Amino acid sequence: MINFGFSISKPRTIDIDRNNLHKSNEIMHEMPELQTCIGCGTCTATCTAGNLTEFNFRKVHTLVRRGEYQGAYVEMNKCMLCGKCRLLCPRGINTRGVVMLIKRKLGDF
Amino acid sequence: MTFFAKFCIPFIIGTVFLFAVVLIKYLTWLRDLPKSDLKLIIRGIPTPRTLAAVWEVVCESLLHRRIFRVNPMLGYMHMSLAFGWFLLIAVGWIETVAYLGLRWVPLQGHVFFKYFVPLNGITEHKPLFDFAMDALLLFVLSGVGLAWFKRMRSRALGMKRTTKHILFDRIALSALWCIFPVRLLAESITAAIYGGGSFLTGGIGSGLASIMSVNTLTLLYEPIWWLYSIALGTFFVAMPFSRYMHIFTEIPLIFLRHYRLKPEDKEKSYDNFEVEACSRCGICIDPCQLQLQLGINDVQSVYFLRDRRYNMLQQKIANNCLMCGRCEQTCPVGINLNTLRLNSRTSMRNIPNEGRYNYLRGLDRSQGEGQVGYFAGCMTLLTPNTMTSMQRIFEAAHEKVWWADKEGGVCCGRPLRLTGETDSAQKMVDYNKALFAKHNITTLVTSCPICLRVLRDEYNLEGIEVLHHSEYILRLMRQGRLRVRYSSELSFTYHDPCELGRGSGIYDEPRAVIEAIGQLLEPEHNRKNAFCCGSSVANTAINDAQQLTIAQHVAAELDSTGAETVVTACPQCKKAIVRGSKRQVMDLSEIVAQNLR
Repeated sequence: MINFGFSISKPRTIDIDRNNLHKSNEIMHEMPELQTCIGCGTCTATCTAGNLTEFNFRKVHTLVRRGEYQGAYVEMNKCMLCGKCRLLCPRGINTRGVVMLIKRKLGDF
Repeated sequence: MTFFAKFCIPFIIGTVFLFAVVLIKYLTWLRDLPKSDLKLIIRGIPTPRTLAAVWEVVCESLLHRRIFRVNPMLGYMHMSLAFGWFLLIAVGWIETVAYLGLRWVPLQGHVFFKYFVPLNGITEHKPLFDFAMDALLLFVLSGVGLAWFKRMRSRALGMKRTTKHILFDRIALSALWCIFPVRLLAESITAAIYGGGSFLTGGIGSGLASIMSVNTLTLLYEPIWWLYSIALGTFFVAMPFSRYMHIFTEIPLIFLRHYRLKPEDKEKSYDNFEVEACSRCGICIDPCQLQLQLGINDVQSVYFLRDRRYNMLQQKIANNCLMCGRCEQTCPVGINLNTLRLNSRTSMRNIPNEGRYNYLRGLDRSQGEGQVGYFAGCMTLLTPNTMTSMQRIFEAAHEKVWWADKEGGVCCGRPLRLTGETDSAQKMVDYNKALFAKHNITTLVTSCPICLRVLRDEYNLEGIEVLHHSEYILRLMRQGRLRVRYSSELSFTYHDPCELGRGSGIYDEPRAVIEAIGQLLEPEHNRKNAFCCGSSVANTAINDAQQLTIAQHVAAELDSTGAETVVTACPQCKKAIVRGSKRQVMDLSEIVAQNLR
């Protein structure tokens, strides 16, 4: 296969009816502004950790909102909480708060 | 002569209880101190620091000098209660000695002297002491009167808002407010029956004698002394668990502070002294911008310390703070409010994780070579004008520069520290330290005050001088390596970033640079009183709209100076102020680069 220097995520389906949305609802309840996310990916584009690793903030929080919690805590731990994403988010979402909230809800504290 | 009457019992119980609890608390806290702290104390005791501490105790615990600076009336109120009560006890003790000679008298004998002495009528009457005690009682009562008045109109005493007290504090407060009026009544009735007393108790006493029969007065005599004793006893029992624990705790705190003990990243026993030395006076509420500009009134330092003390601190309270340091600046007890909040966050959120940030290993994206290193920091990467300006400045000064993170680097670790993940933040600290060491730099320049704080305080960079770009630019100018044009037509106003001003004590350097280029117009709140831009990385609780509101307030004040350009020296502040300002907002380096000669 030709290496284009980027990759495309494999197509997949998420069955929201089967996923347990309990944690997701809690997160959305505590951080309602996350519902205004337009998924533009600016957060990921500017991300300090994303610049150095495969960490993709947009992907992780989008999956978490849909009840896909697997690996989210470990991924979120790559974040340095530097706050660039918060400054650039066109919807003004408190992204650092989102990181901390997801870690609190899905982690061990 | 026995100095005992049944009414003394509540007082005696209260006193014994109070001293037992206070002693147990202090001994436990001292016992739990880390060894290094105990060493500091032992080494510090035989030095002049002890004398300095004694002097500070007199100035602060008794005279309350720092509250006088906030507002003279407020200072007088606190002084009259503290110093007045102290003098009442001290002069009262001298009075007993004067009457009875140097002999042991039980505590209640001193406190209820007026009760015991007229009954026994041992020696000749000493009116001078009556006068002194009456004058002191009046002094204390004026403070109580002001405290009552402050409940109704706090503004008159320089406080827009006062603390909302919990029930327990209110009980202690009510007992305290009862003590002195009841004492006045008790001593007046005693004077009415047995004579004695000076202008105050004697005067009221003769007034009472003229309107009441001796029988009525005798009937009131015992109950009023009972009441006085109960008020004292109640206050003493409530004291160690209420805000009034500060009365005693401030004294050991002052000594420990003089012995160089201070709170750290992680909670430790010394923190107890700071937490319980908070009097909940509420002076920290007014400067808080979350209160001032957003109307949030349950997160201020006074409430934070209260919640922490009673073990009911919630993350949302601990996280909702800009850590701008405006409250710390005015705290009359000098509590390290930011550090305490930080280590509370650490207790709540720090999870040591060895594997975390392993991806940093072996990473090096730095460019160039030189003795001088430039660490842009994440936020500067979002204000590229600052970075290109710095590049022009370096070129103009013919400085060879090593760029640590021009193409993106690793965060300095301070934002993560501020949220409480101290151990993980250490990984970034270690990474960056190793990177600086690898490239053999001797000077490190950063244009981000957030980075500056952690680079200076936590990195321990031996052999590397850490400079903020304002200091570095001024140095270049003074060395004649950088020349700028001066134009009186250019007018600037300067916003002090929290981390640079209150955080690092850098106020004059950026001002000197600005004044070399044009005219500097100061906003109303500047230097130590400067506002926070609202976008502080320390606060993870407020939302964007709230950040914007703060930024608009700050920008409006800066705009009102009439200056053409708002200058700041922090990329985060620049990003925030630009949202609210109608003027052009520039970083210090930009105006320098634009006016290079």
